[in-house]
This record gives sequence, structure tokens and C-alpha cells, in this order.
Amino acid sequence: MSTISPIQRELLKNALVTISDNALVMVMRTARTANVKNSMDFSAAICDGTGNLAAQGLAVPVHLGVVNPALKGCLDYFGDDIAEGDVLASNDPYSGCSHLNDIFTFKPVYVDGKRVAFVVLVLHHTDLGGRVPGGNAADSQEIFEEGLRLPPVKMRVAGRNNDAVFRIIEANTRIPDRVMGDLNAQLAALDEAAAEVEKIARRMGPEAFGRYLVDLIDYAEQLTRNSIADLPDGEVEFDEWNDDDGAGHGPIHLHVKLTKKGDEIVVDYEGTQEDTGGAVHCNWEFAVSCTYAALRTVLAAEVPNNAGLYRPITVKAPKGTFISVEFPAAVGSRGQIGFRLRSIILGALAKLVPGRMPACAGGSEFALAASGRTETGRSFLHLEFHNNTGLGGGPDRDGQDAGPYCIGNLANVPVELIESENPIRVEQYAFLPDTGGAGEYRGALGLVRDYRFLTDAVRVQVRSDRYTSQPWGLFGGGPGAGGKLVLNPGTPGEDPLPSKFIRTFAKGDLLSAQMAASGGYGEAAKRDRAAVARDLAEGKMTADHALKAYGFSAGEEPDA
Amino acid sequence: MTRQSFRLGVDIGGTFTDIVLIDDDGRVFSKKILSTPRDYSEAIEVGSRALFAELGVDPADIREFVHATTVATNTIIERKGAKVGLVTTLGFRDVLEIARFRTPRLYDITYRKPDPLVPRDLRFEVAERMGADGAVVAPLDESRLEDIASAMETAGVEAVAITLINSHVNADHEQRLADFFRKRMPDLMVTASSDLVPQIGEYERTSTTVVNAYLRPIVTRYVEALQRRLDGMGIAAPLMIMQSSGGIAPGMLVKDQPITIIESGPAAGVLGGARLASHIDLGDVLVFDMGGTTAKATLTEAGAYTISPETEVGGEPVLGARMVRGAGYPVQVPTIDIAEVGAGGGSLAAVDSAGGIAVGPRSAGSEPGPVAYGRGGTQPTVTDGNLMLGYLNPQALVSGELSLDHGAVRRAFGTLSGELAVAETEAAYGVHQIANASMLRALRGVSSEKGRDPAQFVLMAIGGNGPVHACSLAEEAGMHRVVIPPVAGLYSALGMLFADVEHQLVAAFYHRLDETDLAALQATIDGLVAHGAELLEGQGFGPDARDMRIEIDMKYAGQTSPLTVMLGGTEASEAAIAALIRSFHEQHARTFGYSSAHEPLQFVAVKAVCRGVPERPRMPEQCLRGNERSLGATGRRAYFGAQGWHETPVVTRADLKAEPRSGPLIVEEYDTTCVIRPGWEASLDHWNNIHAIKKESAEA
Repeated sequence: MSTISPIQRELLKNALVTISDNALVMVMRTARTANVKNSMDFSAAICDGTGNLAAQGLAVPVHLGVVNPALKGCLDYFGDDIAEGDVLASNDPYSGCSHLNDIFTFKPVYVDGKRVAFVVLVLHHTDLGGRVPGGNAADSQEIFEEGLRLPPVKMRVAGRNNDAVFRIIEANTRIPDRVMGDLNAQLAALDEAAAEVEKIARRMGPEAFGRYLVDLIDYAEQLTRNSIADLPDGEVEFDEWNDDDGAGHGPIHLHVKLTKKGDEIVVDYEGTQEDTGGAVHCNWEFAVSCTYAALRTVLAAEVPNNAGLYRPITVKAPKGTFISVEFPAAVGSRGQIGFRLRSIILGALAKLVPGRMPACAGGSEFALAASGRTETGRSFLHLEFHNNTGLGGGPDRDGQDAGPYCIGNLANVPVELIESENPIRVEQYAFLPDTGGAGEYRGALGLVRDYRFLTDAVRVQVRSDRYTSQPWGLFGGGPGAGGKLVLNPGTPGEDPLPSKFIRTFAKGDLLSAQMAASGGYGEAAKRDRAAVARDLAEGKMTADHALKAYGFSAGEEPDA
Repeated sequence: MTRQSFRLGVDIGGTFTDIVLIDDDGRVFSKKILSTPRDYSEAIEVGSRALFAELGVDPADIREFVHATTVATNTIIERKGAKVGLVTTLGFRDVLEIARFRTPRLYDITYRKPDPLVPRDLRFEVAERMGADGAVVAPLDESRLEDIASAMETAGVEAVAITLINSHVNADHEQRLADFFRKRMPDLMVTASSDLVPQIGEYERTSTTVVNAYLRPIVTRYVEALQRRLDGMGIAAPLMIMQSSGGIAPGMLVKDQPITIIESGPAAGVLGGARLASHIDLGDVLVFDMGGTTAKATLTEAGAYTISPETEVGGEPVLGARMVRGAGYPVQVPTIDIAEVGAGGGSLAAVDSAGGIAVGPRSAGSEPGPVAYGRGGTQPTVTDGNLMLGYLNPQALVSGELSLDHGAVRRAFGTLSGELAVAETEAAYGVHQIANASMLRALRGVSSEKGRDPAQFVLMAIGGNGPVHACSLAEEAGMHRVVIPPVAGLYSALGMLFADVEHQLVAAFYHRLDETDLAALQATIDGLVAHGAELLEGQGFGPDARDMRIEIDMKYAGQTSPLTVMLGGTEASEAAIAALIRSFHEQHARTFGYSSAHEPLQFVAVKAVCRGVPERPRMPEQCLRGNERSLGATGRRAYFGAQGWHETPVVTRADLKAEPRSGPLIVEEYDTTCVIRPGWEASLDHWNNIHAIKKESAEA
């Protein structure tokens, strides 16, 4: 009998997601670097025997579409030369991976000699060499500057470790103990997940297991199609800008045309400017993955994360654009353009389905690396990401100040933790009044973090954006205030800094990082007067701004 | 024969109030009544009086009263706490509102984190600054304090919270502020973070302090009202409240630190389970507590459970929540580490647009509840499925006090099975299995975090629905042994009576080991021990009846989260520290799979667990059921998946013996129903626990 029971399908779906989640828990438990534990920059997935994604655990959203192309890169290379006990791996953006730090590992699962699945674990490794620690300098030009490039290889052959690969990785990282520890954690979790998948496949029988995986993908496709069919048909275009490419060229223009017809969506990035260099641009596979993640926000919550979700969605762009770069472009800082890809899709969706999407999210996609020696001679390295400040205003309420950004999930770093471990004092971490894009529903406020350096010769690398390309408003709402970086504000030595730089600061210098606010929604004149009065009372708006942006005089009685 | 004395345990849930009475011989009597949300203490009085009357108990013979309550959690969920004014360091009043940027729901563009409990205009800044090393960077500017106090008065503030940057290292400014506000506004309750949670991390510490301030007036009123009721009933025993950490403390202390009772009820069940596991030598146990809306799993190894240093309050349970944060307000308070999933008896079964089925996390709650309750529910729930499968009595639950509408359940499943194109029985069994799959995620989650397989544990099932699902869940998890304690459905109310008086104290100690002055560490330990001794003295525990344990939170420098390591004794001698370091490395290797002798170590905090040693054992030697009432059923057909329908005997716990009896078997009780599947056998031990063992022959 070959009918599908929806109950068996649900049970299998649950079982597979549980396996991938547990693999992630295991990585969390055994990984060595703080970065792995803090940022949870890893994903676990299960593909069918031919390499189609069938289930993915709790994941970094931008990983939503990365598994299929990375596995395809390995399958294309190895073809029939894959056997029980092998583990395949790659980190090569030019074989379907995303950037060098992400090492993908794949373990085929066999039942009675038949390959029934691949188990997948991808993990961001903190350092794989390159000219800058961590490999994410924004101004690199070629991938050869960014660290170890691992084309599709076998890390294990018929159950035996391929020592050459391990030794090469070990010799190409600044922190071999920790990176090899993370890699071992990754492989151990992969083995455990593969054993669990094998158990299920044996219990169900390889034929039924395979049939149910195919059905699970079809089921996700059907749910996706139903979700898309619920959206209005139409064709919309949207433009976005990045301040620069990380190597001095800018602004960078992105363009998209999104066509929704029936139960399908076509996303076409033609019109996006051609690649100019630097390392904040991305390869095509990453651009597609970010596109899926942004579109996921309008799909039903219960759609399983698998290849069925991709089928009704076509994503295209010419080769060689800023988001479809070609070998040997550097892509280490591609996470930054990932934010722009998500916002351009959300913008297009806002036009396609008015009343559903808020205005543009705020944040300067701010990343800081500060290193040097304390006055007692101890070396320190402080790494910090502060990507977002809150979603935009609308469609029916203000952007929540410091609200979480749904297609990303990185925590900020506690001030007291920074101060206890580094010669840095954070003198302010606060909302920036008046910055939220004006509108009937205003944008979330920008945020400021002021860093005082308490020792000399602190080497600081900053990657950020949204200084000139402000987060956009919608339907008459104003843009959120752009970000700013200022050295020693309010002193004779005040010095505005660019959004991406590497510089050395002296003891006593204060770096003020002012992060962009989000966009407003609807005409400011329609804003509820009581809401303006409340912002005034809370000090989130000054009287001056209330008058200019909303025509609201201090002392005016908010009418009911 | 000496006159019997009694111990009374009361567990208040959102829907039901569970009352358990135990006498000196271990006889257990119980009562389950609807909660009274307008004044929760009312149900306690009504239910207790009814039970006393039924049994002829004189309230004067109650020698102990222990209580678990959801009052703290409900106050937050319903946003009914006090109006709080918050005082912070200049430049940091927004820390509370900025929070940490984590979201529990990826891809949900409509998700909003909970609004701050203190709005921005009630958050006041004072110029001052402590450095990370405790040095004064800027002195406390006292010139604006009077203005702040007036502004608070004008706004009608009811409680004050104070959290300054780096106050966990040097509390001087914070304490001076607290003194000022206590004197200036004597009617207000003032909470300073350095008194409550002197731990690193400004957002979590601020949030904890604010939650405490927000709860204090409400919990104080609650405790005082309950005390009056106890006095009025003639119960002279002190009012003790279950804390999230598994210890009990007097209500008069708890009302000043209400954050300690947020997970009061769940902690009681786990504590009871862990104590029982030690008492009857069960070894490593997974305590599985399934109620109406959620299921909880806790791992206990040799009777010990893990204490988590932090919990979140006010958020909904999220599947996979153990890795996902941001749904509620973080509170840094020692809490038994419990994994929770949104799967319970009330979880709804729903069919999606592509013909798929989901069970939960949406729940029918207590209103309308499952279809079977006949209160307007039409969408089938897990409980309704269990009724269809013959697991539950088709007429009534709670010994007849809750009657069921079997016909309505059949109609609801008729619709569901039509939508799924499967037989009704298959649909009902599917709902049961899918609920199990969700709960399995919790079981696997807690064991994976420890690097262990659930199959290595005994499953202890409690909660109204735990014993219904225990054997089938155990089969799914590869577990072979299930234990169902007496009054399993009200076990939290019984379990809290086994808890000791305990105070968990913490002091910040953020120093690298190579820069640590042992005398300073000793002074910190001595301070905690003295405080603990004072608290225990107040509850009648003399010097010989105190058990003081010192624990150190430590990590490799630069790591995110610390491990808690026990210090042998209370002396910070060179030898004790050397042993501490060895234990840290061992524990690190056990927990994380590696240790690293050459990395520098960082102390984070010093903790003291101060326990009052009880005069007599907290666990009765045996446990006998008192007022059991049978529904009189003798058998019915029940469905067991691949093994099909079976004519299944229905018995009471008293019908079971030490000699194993083969399943299928259904044990109907006042507070729950135990389902023993085919291939399992059940027996009863001297403590009245049901032991269900999977027979090897049933494999296949």
C-alpha cells in the first residue's frame, strides 16, 4: 500500500525536526568558541537521498536556502563516488556555499545499501585564517585574502577521518584548539543525527521513508502555494541602496521586480548594479537564501522549512551583479548585504500587499572589533554585533522601539560584560529621540552606544551601513534617521567617521555609534495626537520635533 | 495512640486548586476544586474546610501549611502589578526597554516583545558611575533626588526599583539611593538590585529588580490575606511558600522577594519527584508533568535536579524554547531547570489548508475546555482523543465530579477524520501520538543538553494527564520503566510537603582567578553564611540544624555562561580552591565534552544554599490513599495502535499488588487515569507507587 497518512507525515516531520534541533543543542553544548554559543550561527537539516532539503531545525534565517546548493556542489563533484561512512564537506562560495567561515558537512545515510538521506550540519567557524582575524574585513577584494578555501572534499572516507583535511584546517586558523574543538562538535552532532535518521528509516522501511520524505516536500509546496494564492496578484518594483561596497565605492543600487500570479512568485533582480568589489556583496546562492527568508514572512507559519517551499518561487538575476558576484570576489562580509536583500523584498511585499508589512527596519548593521593590550599588558579582543534597532512603523501601530528583528536573531552584548573584560567603558546606551521616521505610525527610534577607550593604541574595525541610505518609510511616512559614527563628539577634536573603517584610537578617545532608526508609515499629519503627546511625555520626542514633524505644539491638549 | 497531626499542601493553578492532607502515618487525602481568580485564597479556605469537615480534622492539628501559587506569574501575565519607578545610572534608563533583541518567532513580522513594565517617563537617571573594578568613576549626584521623589509621588508610584551600572561590584551608590527613597517615601517598597541579585549583566539585573518591585505590593497583599484566612480557620502552622528553587520559605520573607516563587507549582512537582526517586532508589529519573495546557520535563540524576540561574516570566511556552529567548521578562533567580512544551490535555487538533494535521500549541484552555466538558468546545483536543480511545472514563472524571459528553466528542472526531480522510479511531490515535511527539521534544531536549539518552531514565509521570500518556510516551522514547506516584494528578500539592526550608543567596565576585585575593573571597563567603544563619535562626533552626553549602559560579575567561561548582566546606583555603579548580575542569569536561587546563579561569559569583535540617524526615515511610472514591467501572474497550482494540480491565490502585499484572489495564483514580499498555505489566510498591515495566517479549 502506498497511500500517505497525514498522521504519519506529521509524526515524521516532528521526528526529523526534533533530530535537527537536538543536533543543534549538542553543538551548543560541546562547541568551544563563544561566538558559536552566542550567535547560534549554525543550522542542522535532513535532505532526501538525492539531496533535496526535507527538514531544517531552528536556524539562522539566512540559512533557509543554503543547504540545497551547498550539497549540490558536493554531489556534482563526487557524483557516484559517495559511499557509506563518508562525510563530505565544503566552505567554497564558488561551489554553492556562502562564505568561508561556514563549513558545511554532509553525511549520507544508508539502509540496506540504499542511500535514503543526507544529514547536514553547517556551522560558522570563528577563524579560518585570512588577512584579518575572523575573516570578515569589508574591504577585501579577492577570496584568497579571506582564509582557507575548502572545495568539496571528503572529511571521512568509509568511516575513517581524512587526516589531510583536518591538518590543513588546523594549520590555517589563528585559534586551532577552539576551531578544531568546534569542528569535532560539529561532526559528533552530525553522527548522532545520522544514527537517529537511520533508526527511523529502518523502522519505516527505506521505501516508505523515501516516499514520506518526497511527500513532506510536496506538502510544504502545497502549503506554500496556498499561502501565495491568498496574496493579491500583481507586479511591483522596489529599489534599495547600500552606502558603499566596503572598498570605497557607493552608493550601491539594488533593484527588484516581484511578480505574483496565482500560486507562484517570480523575483527578478535585473537592474541591480554590477559588482564593484569589496566584501559586503554576495554570491547568488546567498542572495536566493535571503530572498526565501524574507518571503517566508508572508507564508503560513506552519509551512515546514524544506525544498517544497522553494518550488513555487523563482529567483533570478544576471551574473556579475552586486548580489551575484563571480569568482574570485571576496564575500566575507556578505552578511551586511543580506540585510539589504531582506529589506528590498519586504519593501516589494509592502507594495504588493498594502496593509501587511511595516516600513523599513532600523539599524546600522553595526559590527565592532576592538583589540589591543591593557595597561598591564594583557591582550584583549572585543567582538560585537549590533545589527538592528527595531522594525518600521505600521501597518497598524508604531515600530516597537528596540523590538526584535524577525529575520535575524542576535543578542546585544551587555555593557557590564564588555567593561569587565576589556579596557573599554560604555558611557551611554540609549534611544535617540526624534529619530524614528515620521508617520501616522512612527518608526522605532535609533540607538546610541558610546565607547570610551581606557588604554592606548586600540585597533578598531567597524562594519556598518545605513548612513546615507536611510531606512525607508511607506505610504507617506518619512525615513528613519540615518546612522552616524563620531569620534569625540562635542570636543574640539570631533571627527565624523565613515561607516566602514579600520583605525587606531588613543586612551580617552570616545567613539559614538549612533545607529539608524526605522521608517515611518502613513502621513505624519494623521498621527494620533495622544500618541505624539505620549512620545513627548516619555522624552522619545522633543517639542521642537513634534512641532516640525507633526505640527504639534507643546501644551496642546491631546484631543480624544 | 497519640493524636494525629496533619500537614497540608495546597497548589493553586489557573483552573484548579489542589489540596492534599497527609497524616503522621502517611495517609493521603485530597480535594480538587475550581480556583477563585478574584481572590485565590478563597478556594484554599473553602476547599480546606470541606476536606476538614469530610475527615473530621481539627484545624488546630495542622502542624504544617505549604503553598504553591501562580499569583506572581498571573500578576505579570495580566499586567496587574504595581506602578513602579525605576532609578538608573545616567545614560542607561533605556536598558530596561532595549532588552536583548532576541525573538522567539523567526519570520513573524507581527511579533512584538512584551512592553517594559516601567514606561520611560517613570525611569529616572542619576549622575554617578562605578567602574568595572568597583572604583568610583563619578560620584553620586544627590542634588536631583528630591525632584525624582516628587515626580514619583505625582505619578502615583507604588514601588521603587534601583539598578545602577556595576552595582554588583560596588553597591555604595545604590545603597545610598535606597536609603534616601526609604526615608523619603516610607510607604513605598524599595528594591535595590544589589540586595536582590548582585550579578553581572545590566539588563537581566534591571529586569529582575523591576519584576520584584512590580510584584511586591500584590504578593504582600496576597500573603497577608492568606495569613488572615489561616488565622481565621484556626490554623496556627506558619505559612510556608514553595520557591522556584525547590525549597520552602516563610511567606513573611517571600513577600519581599516575590521573584523567588514564580515557578512555585512546577517546582513542587519536581521536588516531590526527586525526593521520591531518592527515597525508593529509582536512580536517574525524568519527571514528566502533563497538565491541561503544557507538559514539563525535568531530569533528575540520583535525586538531584539542575538549578538554572535564570528564568523568563510572562511569555508563552514556545516549542524549542530552550534555545530561543525573548518571549518574557528575564528574572535571575535560582529555578529548577524545567523544559516546557505547549502540549496538554486541552491542546487543539487542527487541519491545515494542505490536509496536514497539527496538535497544539493552541489550547482550549479551561474555557471552553475539551469538547467532552460540554462547555461549548467543538474542536477536538488531546483529552477528547483519549476519551475516543477508551483511555478515559466515557461518563466522568474526578470521581464523578466532572461529567463528560461522549456524543459531542464522537461528532467532533467525525468531522476531523473526514477532513483527514482517515478512520475516526486512527484520527484519535494520531492526536494522541502527535501530542506525544511534541512532548518527546521536551524529553529529548533536557536529556540531550546533558549528553544523555532518555532511554537511560525512569519516567515518573505526574499531572492530570501524565499517567494517561506515560507508557506510550515511554515507548516512543525507548524507555522501559514508568513510575506513577500516589495522587499523581495532584502530586505537586503532595510533593511540596517533602521540601526543606531553604534560602539561596548570591554575591557578585567577578574576578579572574589569577587576580583573586583569597581573603576577599573568604569575606564574601562569610557574609553570605552569616546572612543565611540569621534567616534560618529566624525560622527556628539552631546552629546544629543548618546545612550551609557554598557554590562558586565560574568559567574560562571570555566564555559566555558559567558553571556552578561546589566548594567543599565554607573555607576558601588554598587546598579548597585547588580542589574547586579540579572539579571545575571535570564538570566542564562532563558538560561540554572538553576541559582546558591552560586557559585562565574567571570567578563570576558566590552562592550559598542554606538549608534548615528538619527534625523528622520529610518523606513518610509509606504513603496510603485516604479518601478514594471509585466510579465503579470494571472494563471497557481501548485502542492501542498496531495492537488494535483490546477489552481492557478497569481497576483501582488498591487492586494492584506487588505481583505484576499484565496490561492492557486502566487504573482509574480521583485525580488521574493510568493507562498500562499491552506488553507492559504493572505492580504496586510499599509506598503505593505504580511501577509499569515494558516486557521484552512485547517487542516486535
